[in-house]
Amino acid sequence: MRRYETIVIVKPGAGDAEFSSVSEKVTGTIEGFGGLIVRNDRWGLKKLAYPIKKEAQGDFLYVEYAGMPDGVKEMERLLRIDDRVMKFMTVKTQDVFTPDAPKAEEPETATAEAEEASE
Amino acid sequence: MVIKKKKIFNRRKVCRFCTDKSLMIDYKDVKTLRNFVTERGKIIPRRIYGNCAHHQRQLTEAIKRARQIALLPYAGQTQL
Repeated sequence: MRRYETIVIVKPGAGDAEFSSVSEKVTGTIEGFGGLIVRNDRWGLKKLAYPIKKEAQGDFLYVEYAGMPDGVKEMERLLRIDDRVMKFMTVKTQDVFTPDAPKAEEPETATAEAEEASE
Repeated sequence: MVIKKKKIFNRRKVCRFCTDKSLMIDYKDVKTLRNFVTERGKIIPRRIYGNCAHHQRQLTEAIKRARQIALLPYAGQTQL
């Protein structure tokens, strides 16, 4: 499997329920294709560097996972259809990845992310 | 005739990322990337900070990714 991370920018107007439904959609499709979620973070409302679809702010979702290319393709297709999603980006971070290995390093990176979000 | 003596500074600039191995280049880490773009959002050439080619390449990649997902601007200042 490969290691990917995806950032999804959800429309700020959408409520918590809408946000979690987008998040579930992402994680659901990955798991449906035999992937494994490593981390699922909500960065919260952030100011965008430039307006996207006339919005100045965006609700960021960050998902790190192990999966196959097919799963990513399907997930991106679904995100493209979704109106609540303004923008998304998937980055491959590792070519070969066994999901059990990164558990040890997970806590420290998680806290670093949390600090960033709290700003 | 005045011979102009050119002052040569020989202080070698060292790559920041090579000296501090703990410093990682990550497109999500906007705070670090901010140091390597101008106020207008342009990537600063490596002759200024003396980054090595390897790290400068990683840096540009990271900045371009950050731009894509609206963490950094393509151009212009963000209104603060």
